[in-house]
Amino acid sequence: MTAVIEARDLTKSYGATRALDGVSFSVEPGRIVGLIGPNGAGKTTALKAILGLTPFGGELRVLGLDPRTQRDELMRDVCFMADVAVLPRWLRVSQALAFCEGVHPRFDRSIAQAFLRKTDIHLASRVRQLSKGMVTQLHLALIMAIDARLLVLDEPTLGLDLLYRRKFYDTLVNDYFDKERTILLTTHQVEEVENLFTDVIFINRGRVALASAVEDLGGRYQQLTLSAEAAPRGRALQPFYERELFGRVAMFFEGRSAAELGALGELRTPSIADLFVAKMQGTANT
Amino acid sequence: MNSTFAEISADTPRSAAAPAARPPGTVLLTLLRRELWEHRYLWVGPLCVAILLALCAVIGQVHLDLRDLSQLASEGSKVALLTIVQWALSATFSVLALFIVSNYALDCLYAERKDRSILFWKSLPVSDGLTVGAKLLMALVVVPLGVFAISMLASLVFFAIVSVRTAVGSIPSIMTWNTLEWLRTELAMLLILLLALLWYAPLVAYLMVVSAWARRRPFLLSTLPWVLAPILERIAFGTHYLWSFLRYRSNGIFATLAAGHTHIFSRHHGLRPVGTLLEDLDFRGAFSDIDLWLGLAAAAALVYAATRIRRYRDDT
Repeated sequence: MTAVIEARDLTKSYGATRALDGVSFSVEPGRIVGLIGPNGAGKTTALKAILGLTPFGGELRVLGLDPRTQRDELMRDVCFMADVAVLPRWLRVSQALAFCEGVHPRFDRSIAQAFLRKTDIHLASRVRQLSKGMVTQLHLALIMAIDARLLVLDEPTLGLDLLYRRKFYDTLVNDYFDKERTILLTTHQVEEVENLFTDVIFINRGRVALASAVEDLGGRYQQLTLSAEAAPRGRALQPFYERELFGRVAMFFEGRSAAELGALGELRTPSIADLFVAKMQGTANT
Repeated sequence: MNSTFAEISADTPRSAAAPAARPPGTVLLTLLRRELWEHRYLWVGPLCVAILLALCAVIGQVHLDLRDLSQLASEGSKVALLTIVQWALSATFSVLALFIVSNYALDCLYAERKDRSILFWKSLPVSDGLTVGAKLLMALVVVPLGVFAISMLASLVFFAIVSVRTAVGSIPSIMTWNTLEWLRTELAMLLILLLALLWYAPLVAYLMVVSAWARRRPFLLSTLPWVLAPILERIAFGTHYLWSFLRYRSNGIFATLAAGHTHIFSRHHGLRPVGTLLEDLDFRGAFSDIDLWLGLAAAAALVYAATRIRRYRDDT
């Protein structure tokens, strides 16, 4: 099967800053991909390029289409949701449903209504009367009702409390996601959603720092926790990042075998959040 | 054989039955509805004025202060006065429509960027061309013709109320209803409206470009250059070409239209119904004015520019 997103050497500058500096990656169908990076790393710019919202350099195919020239066609199969504040405040819930139904060939109003019935949202309410969490639920209801192949989410749960965040991702994974759909997601709250991802792409200062399937991370990266006395022996094996924790040292290695490291201390596959910090700090030091 | 079949079925979109796109008419209608939801003053304003005028008809008083009351003695003069009042009612709506349309044109592409809802609109499969087209249609066709229809209704209601009050002696009889003259006057006003729409289309398109482009203060951005540039030209070169251009673009077509004699009141004929303007005004000359059509070409270019700007304006 062909890739859902195929990006090669994407570039984009805002004045002197290079928001995208030769970004290449590909996303296969049926995956949930986390696009992770610090503030200003170029995540949102990459998403905007994928959605045809901004001009850029390089080669990019999304669902086989060029977002620069075939955006209108592309948006029939792509859904996206930027952070919560993009539904206009004057819009009524019923109007949101009517609008989507009027313009989107794959919007099924009954699905959205069934979803909304499970919430406290009334059809006559305006967006300005809803809480932040409810606005996100409304947007999610609209997205669930669209039979799209690629869903792009940019910090979808920013500013929501834990309950709404949990509910949001549960709905997404249990009721929306399936083998034919692909989700591309950026978030700051990596710890909370890292179990969701099948793939991660780390992006830093406009470059891809790491792109991998989550199941392959274990083979590539090791986190070794060892006592301060054993630390020099660990350092000899050239960890790309280390940090001290309660008198013990956590070291992060790439491409070392378990046999090499296992004897020195406690070995495990790093969490995505830890690996992210290690990668970002590690590259910042070099 | 089997594997080929599996590959095909896996690659087939799951919703092959779903149409590729909604019919363009449905999409356009939905886009127009959105404009009326978002900019409610487009229809609330004219309705309020219509209600106010009806109220005026109910409680208004007539004060006659004519030196020569014999002017109003003839039946013809009473019909003429009817059409003049009809004209005045319509003028109220025209001024209102002018404000509504220019305000809307300046706001329609700016508001959606200001509240960032453009990211929502752009998440749906609607092209920038269709969106901008719908907004243009709203500004140049739906609102002006809608306001005209409301003004016609308001005029009918106004005169119905006045007739009843005249019949019961609440106000003096100074006007006589004449359906033909009323229709002729409405037709003259409609033709002038169509001419004005064509003439001002580049202005509307210009406001939409500013609306699509301005990061803040679209009103200042749209007007300030046109205030400053003629002054600078005067200071720098001592000429006033820009000022003349502005004056021409603001009312030039109406000078062409009124090239003939257009006195509603003359010493020889007394008051004449406004409907007679149909014969006096040079509609043929005005509608075939080359500047009118050059302006439309400029408007088309400006609308295209607004579409391109909306496509890539990235300030969210």
